[in-house]
Order: sequence, then structure tokens, then C-alpha cells
Amino acid sequence: MSAGWRTLLLRIGDRCPEYGGSADHKEHIETCYGVLCREYEHSKDAMFEIGLINLENEDFAKGIVDTTHANLQDALHNENRDRIRILLRFLCGLMCSKVVLPNSIIETFEALLSSAATILDEETGNPSWQPRADFYVYCILASLPWGGSELFEQVPDEFERVLVGIQSYISIRRHFDDIAFSVFETDEGNSPNKKDFIEDLWERIQVLSRNGWKVKSVPKPHLLFEAQLVAGVSHRFSPISCPPPTVSQSSSEIVKGQEMHEADLKYPQRLRRLHIFPTNKAEVIRKECAFYLVSLPVPFRYEYLMAETIFSQLLLLPNPPFRPIYYTLVIIDLCKALPGAFPSVVVGAVHALFDRISNMDMECRTRLILWFSHHLSNFQFIWPWQEWAYVKDLPKWAPQRVFVQEVLEREIRLSYFDKIKQSIEDAVELEELLPPKAGPNFRYHSDEGKESTDGHRLSKELVGMVRGRKTQGDIISWVDGQIIPVNGAKFALDVVSQTLLDIGSKSFTHLITVLERYGQIISKLCPNEEMQLLLMDEVSAYWKNSTQMIAIAIDRMMGYRQISNLAIVKWVFSPANVDQFHVSDRPWEILRNAVSKTYNRIFDLRKEIQTLRKGLQAAKVASEKAARELEEAKSIIEIVDGQPVPSENPVRLRRLQVRADKTKAEEVTTEESLEAKEALLARGLEESKELLRLLFKSFVEVLTERLPPISADGDVPNLRAGDPNVNSAARDPEATTMEIDNENGADNDSQLNGQNKKIGHNVGELEQWCLCTLGYLKSFSRQYATEIWSHIAMLDQEIFVGNIHPLIRKAAFSGLCRPTSEGSHL
Amino acid sequence: MASLFKDPSKLSAYRDRRFTGTQEEYEAALQASVTVYVGNMSFYTTEEQAYELFSRAGEIRKIIMGLDKNSKTPCGFCFILYYSREDAEDAVKYISGTMLDDRPIRVDFDWGFEEGRQWGRGRSGGQKELEAQRELVDYGGAFQPNAPPQYDRGDRKRGYGDSYRNDRGHYQRKRYRNDERSSQRAPDSESKRDANDSEKNPRFREKGDSDEEDDDYDKRRRR
Repeated sequence: MSAGWRTLLLRIGDRCPEYGGSADHKEHIETCYGVLCREYEHSKDAMFEIGLINLENEDFAKGIVDTTHANLQDALHNENRDRIRILLRFLCGLMCSKVVLPNSIIETFEALLSSAATILDEETGNPSWQPRADFYVYCILASLPWGGSELFEQVPDEFERVLVGIQSYISIRRHFDDIAFSVFETDEGNSPNKKDFIEDLWERIQVLSRNGWKVKSVPKPHLLFEAQLVAGVSHRFSPISCPPPTVSQSSSEIVKGQEMHEADLKYPQRLRRLHIFPTNKAEVIRKECAFYLVSLPVPFRYEYLMAETIFSQLLLLPNPPFRPIYYTLVIIDLCKALPGAFPSVVVGAVHALFDRISNMDMECRTRLILWFSHHLSNFQFIWPWQEWAYVKDLPKWAPQRVFVQEVLEREIRLSYFDKIKQSIEDAVELEELLPPKAGPNFRYHSDEGKESTDGHRLSKELVGMVRGRKTQGDIISWVDGQIIPVNGAKFALDVVSQTLLDIGSKSFTHLITVLERYGQIISKLCPNEEMQLLLMDEVSAYWKNSTQMIAIAIDRMMGYRQISNLAIVKWVFSPANVDQFHVSDRPWEILRNAVSKTYNRIFDLRKEIQTLRKGLQAAKVASEKAARELEEAKSIIEIVDGQPVPSENPVRLRRLQVRADKTKAEEVTTEESLEAKEALLARGLEESKELLRLLFKSFVEVLTERLPPISADGDVPNLRAGDPNVNSAARDPEATTMEIDNENGADNDSQLNGQNKKIGHNVGELEQWCLCTLGYLKSFSRQYATEIWSHIAMLDQEIFVGNIHPLIRKAAFSGLCRPTSEGSHL
Repeated sequence: MASLFKDPSKLSAYRDRRFTGTQEEYEAALQASVTVYVGNMSFYTTEEQAYELFSRAGEIRKIIMGLDKNSKTPCGFCFILYYSREDAEDAVKYISGTMLDDRPIRVDFDWGFEEGRQWGRGRSGGQKELEAQRELVDYGGAFQPNAPPQYDRGDRKRGYGDSYRNDRGHYQRKRYRNDERSSQRAPDSESKRDANDSEKNPRFREKGDSDEEDDDYDKRRRR
């Protein structure tokens, strides 16, 4: 048998050449076990094999148990969540294979439970860290499908004690309101009946225990070998220790909020994750993975489960485990691996999500639009558009209509207008939703007949100067001398920006070349925010037919510091754009770019500073060493003719001197660049603080102007009053909990689907504007929660004050996972 | 096939022959590079299309289109420069093999763009009915190395006349061209092209979908 043990392990159960075509599991396992023994390596994937090895080589198995203990101990202290969870499952597997004593498992569970209870205690622990306590309990619960039945059989009393312990933990813990992270916003009120993640899992585990711990999807290979395995000697798993609770430093609400945020980042409550793909840098051979994904050894069809898992990851808030574009690839691979089954499941999922789009989180909508357009671009843009043709009769702010329009926009960006127009020829109604055919809109286009205006003349002159390779300085003095005195600075900006944009209109590269070569002219004309706002108006007029080019041009101008991020925020919140908030992604894309660019620079600087600090440390060590060697060499003295003279070889001395100077110089340069970067970071942080201040101020202003007032008896307006989904949901509480992990999701969706088509969209324009803008406020708050928390005192003082509308507070605070009850005047 | 994981140190089977350093230096350059090479693109794919796709892997610093040395039009490859290494890695991992403009593109790490590497000479490119109506971006003038910018769009007309171009008799392509400009510039670019020819070998692509392409670059100027 030439194949390695890894191959054999992977191929257990496959009819494959490695096993000579045999399809007998047992034979496979024995073959593989033989190879494994020969190669004398151990594998984490094959717990029951270790059980077999245990029969022959107790020390080897004991070694594995001890290594596992050390690993679990490390993982607990390093807060490596995935490892903790997987090691607990591994332990259960070892217990099933009679390698570890059941009582040791019970002890481990009890240690975790007691640590969890301590964290929740006000006196000894810090309830802000409940996410960690929840996580420990989650790990116990999650390992039970793998060992519950064995524990119940072998140590029923002790196991019962653990379950009672979990029950009492659940009863003292605080319900986690994860409104910020739910993909669908079900209604405006709170939904107190909704179970959080742990409560839900606990209930499912209780159901499982009532059913005798039978889980079809959990393979139980050890049962085949039970007769042999019982002969093995079980090892004791030493007690584990959990890290002590982090004691709170302050009782202030802000510090508590920050701690809770930190804890939640470390121990997020949402762990619906695929465990087939690793998160580390190692590159996965995707086709192989897709192959394993489509051939999992479970006795039921799981395409739906698989699609749900993938979509729930893609839409996971605040961030998906991988970059969203990764899921395009996973879905493409699965569609190719299961051409008969998976594509139709994807179609079903898209329809289900589309039907509920009006309740979907804004960030998730954007991810879905980007994924869907990219997905279709990989499948010749084929989609049954006629099924959605009805959206053109919906009001232009209806979320389904906006969704279709934005998908078409992104498709065109990935392809081209005529192609996409052709792709919807079965649903010509939708042509109305296509953006205009892209192309520049040059105000000073030279046309025979009407070349007489000043603008045309000056524009032509500027083109001549650019073609004649005049320097920026020449052009600036031409602008200062010829245009500004006669026509004013605004007109000068108009002509110059339009003309330069036209010169750079051929491609992205043409644009950045122009901005690099003639950027100073623009900077000179736009010294303040007012002029920068005008410049953005010019960009948006020139590229009025191309949302993408507006976004790119503004993004580059920010990059060259011709436009500040603050000016961009002001421009996005200017009346013309505010009117677009609920009907187009255009202003939001520009805003997202500006904020993310600001923080990208800060993250880059932080990384560079970290590297430089390490470099400085090394440079210091080197220069100290060189200096010391030089000193030592100098200090060797001998007495010649009664006079002390250096005895060291002058050549060596000179060499040491040179090295000492050089290393010192290196240290100084590193120190200087470190200082420069730190100054840049300080400036960046200050700018980001201003950015957050302005961003929240702008949100509050536009929302305060438009939100319907609170009624006389203090009722918060219900913006979704006209939404048929919410009304039906309010009548039937089960419907509100219909998340994508609901097993009956598909049935419910088709019902909703029918409803939607009949009822249409009943939310008014103003209400939809408010819902949309509040949704983005929440989305920005969630996305940048860490940065916002570090400036929360400033925001509390200046923004979240007094009689701010409760819906604004709710949107921002839910994004920050901050309780709204305190401080609310309601 | 024995493992679900690729060896992460094996970056690319492709070796740029014009890289002047050792194999180790070449690999180190690939390991640290923030540049990716994109191959097998349609000639009609624009920078904006590439921008839309590749910006989904991270913020893009620059795009350099591979150009046909004679016609100064795209010839099926480009370089994308990111700001961060992680983003470049994600582009290679997640975009390679997917479709852009209906063609499966190939994305690889590149050791870094140098002036001169944008020139290529292509003889491939599928002709589709719709594609034939699309406009090839003409990069003439402004992007020639050492050539000062030649912006000459100010007085041109939109919807300029069609003209057929017969390139080495292998294929015909409908394209749009500013007649006025090409007549204006002809002597200038002719002389430049001659100069270029004597100085460098263009990146030569026998087949658009070939994985092993011969590369020859001008390496006079490092960034």
C-alpha cells in the first residue's frame, strides 16, 4: 500500500484506487490503521483509530490524551475559540473510543461551567464578559451530539448533574439581544419571545436528550469496533483550568459598554460556520473540498442545509468569516459539482431572500447584490427575470425594485450595457430599471456652430495647453490671470474640472494620470470644503450616466487629497443626494468608500508602525552591540614608553568605528520614520474622529427633519405599518422567527412570495426613506463599532443628546450593541 | 490529491524569464508582491470592468492594461496593483478561474510591474456578435514609455467613423478611431515604434488561453 495515511484517512468510505476499489468501511479502516501504525503519526481526525491504537500501544494513546490536554489548556488561555470547540468534540470522540474516562469529560464540563458561572457573578466576575461564559456553555452543548449517548449510558448521574448545571446557568444569564446582527429586521418593536443563540441551542439539545441522543448526521464509526475497543484502557484527562474572569476596572456605563463590545468581538454569539474550510492562510484546493462537500457521509439530502450555511455565512453580521467574494466561488464550485441539484437550490434561496428583501439588513442587501451580480456574470447572465418583471410597477423606492435595479447596475459594470439589455429580453419591462448607457457628458463639447461661449473657448485653450505640454505652474497662472478675474473662481473650477475630466475620460488609468499630472491645479482651485463640494457636483454632472465613474473619480480625488473625507460626507448629505437615499445605492457607495478609505489608511499605518517598532528594536540592539565592541576594543591599552596607548589594531578599530556609526545611523533613520508614521497616524486618528462626528451629526440632522414625530402619548411611530410582511408577522409570532435556518423555510417563503406579488409594496416614500437611512446608520455603527466606541464620550456629549429621536438612538445603539433603555427619555 | 491543502509556498508555476534575480529572489518577490497578473481577458474588457471585479478583493492602487504594441489597444492581459498583500492574495485565491466578460480569467502573483511590461502583441480574442459592436479603448500616445502625454481629445467628435483594421491577416476587428488624430500622430508614433522595436521584445502571446506564455519584457527602467 503506497498511499499515505492522510490519503487513506480522507478516502475512508470511498470506492477508490487507494483501497483497491473495495467499498467496505471496516476493511478500509483496518488498512488505514495499519498504515497509520507504520508511519507512526497521529491524526486528530481519527479519534476511534486512536482507540484501536490504544489497544496495542497504550503509551501512544496516553500521549495523545496529554497533548490534547495541553492544547485545550493553551486554547483556553489564548482564547482560540475554534480550537476549544473542536478539542472538546475530539475529547468526546476519544471518550467514545474508550481512550478517555467518561468521568474526566464530566470534570472538564464542570470546570467550564463553574468558570462560566463565576464570570456572571457581579462580585467575583464581570457580567460584561458573559459572551465568554456563553461560549464555554456553547462548547459543552455543541460536543454533546458526539458523546451525549455514551455519557448517558456510562455515567448517567454525573451527566444529569452537568445538564442541571447548564439549566441553572441558562436561568441566570442575561438574554442576548442580537438585534444588531440579525439579517432580517422583523418589526419595529422588540421581540422578547425570540430565543437567542444559546437558548435556542439548549432547547435543541434538550430535544435531542429526550430522543435518546440519536443524531443521524453524526457518524459513529466506533460502534463497528465496540467489541475490540472495550478492551482498551481508558486514560484520565487531567483537570483543566480556565482563565480567571477579567475584572471590571470601572463601573461607568461607557467602560462597561466598551468591555461588552470587546467581549462580544472575542466571543461572538453567532457560530453557524462551515468547518470544512480552514481560516488560515493555507490555500485550499477548492475542487477537492467541493467534492467532499457534496459527498458527506450523511443519510439525507443536505443541499438545502449546505446552501443555508453558505448564505448565512455570506450574510453573517458584522462580518462574514471570509471576504464575501469567496462565497461566489464556493457557490460556483458547488453548482458545478452538483449540476443537477445545487443550482435549483440557489435559485430557491435567491427567491426566498428576494421575497424578504424589504426586511433585510442594509449591509446584507449590499452583499447580496454584489454576490448575485457576480454569480450571474459567471453563468452567462441567465436568470428568469420575467418572474421579477412585476417590480417595475412598484414605486421606485420599493426595496425589491431597488434590488433588481442595483443588480442590473452591477451586472453592467462587470459586463456592458448591450449584453445586459439582451439578458433581460424576456422581461423587457425591466429595461426601465437599467441605468443610462454609460458615457461622459461634457459640457464644453466642441460642436460646430456653438463654440462661441467663454466656456467652450477656454476649455479648448486648456486642451491646447495640455497637448502643448505646458506645466502645471503655467496652467495655474493662466487660470489665475485669464479666468478668475473675468469669470470668477467657480466658473474657473467648472471649465477646468470638466475639461480635465474629459481628457481623463477614456479609462481609469487616463483619469489617474490626469489627476497626478494636473492635480495641483484642482487643489489650487479647491482650497476649502465649499469648492470641493462644487468639484463633486462637476464630477457627478460629467459622469451623470456612470455611477461607477463618479465613485471612482471621487475616491481617487480623496486619495490625492484634492477632496477631504469630510467634504465627501457633506456632499453625500447634501439635498440632491439625500433625495436618492432610498432609491439608489449611488450616494451610499461613495460614503462607504470614503469611510473605508479613511480607516484603511489608519490600519495600514498601524501595521507599518508595528513593523517599524520591531525594526527599531533590532536596530537598537545592533547599534548597542557595535558601540560596545568599539568601546571594548578602545579600552585595551598597553603601556609603551610609560605612556598608555591603544593596543588594538588600528584597522580593526576603524572597521568597528564604521560599523558603530552605520548601525547608529540606521537606528536614527528607523526612529525618524517611526516618528513620521506616528505623526501621520495621530493626524489620521484626529481626522477619523472628525469624520465620525460629522457622519453621525449628518445622519441625525437628515433623520430628525424627516422622521414622523412621537405621538402625544409617547408611541414611537411604526414605519412599517404598510408592510404586509410585518402585519402578517405580527398576527403570527411564528413567522417572525422564520430565519434562514428554519427547516420549513422554503415552504413559508413560497407563501410569502405569493403574498408579496398580490399585495405589492405599501410602505410610503417617506417611511421607506427613513427605514433605509436608519438601516444604513445601523450598518455604519456596526461596521465601525470599535472605532466609534473609542470616541463614544464625544458622541454622547455632542450627538446622542437630549431629545434625539428614539429611532435614531435605537439604530445607532443597536449597531453598537449598546442598551437603549437607559438614557432613553421614553 | 492527498491533501486538501495546497503547499502555500508554491506560488506559481509560471516563471517570468525577464526577472533578473535568482530563483530565490524571484520567489521572495512573489511572496511579497502586491501585484497580480491577469490573463486570458477579452480584448474588449475595459479597466472599469476589471476595477469592478478586482475591487471586490480590496482597494486597488493601479491598473495597467497590457497593450498591443502596434495598435495601442488592449490585448488580453493586465496588472492590478493593490495596496495590501492580503488583498492581492484574495484576488489570486478567489478570482482566478472565474469569469470576467464571459472568459475564464487567470490570476497569478506577479513580481511587480515595471515600465515596458505593458506591451504585448496578441493574436487571439473571441469574436462574438455583440462584442464586435464594442469599442476597443485606444491607449495611443499617452502611455508610451518616455513619451510625454498626448491628449488630443478636445476637438474630436463622438461616434467617430468605423474603420476596419487588418492586422497581419489573422483577424479582422471593427473598431472606432479618430481619423483626424491618427493622421496627425502617424509620423510621430511611427518613429517611436521603431525605436521601441530595437530596444525591447514585446510580451508575446501565441494563444490567449495558454498557461505557459513566453514573456519578454523591457527591463530598462525599474520603478
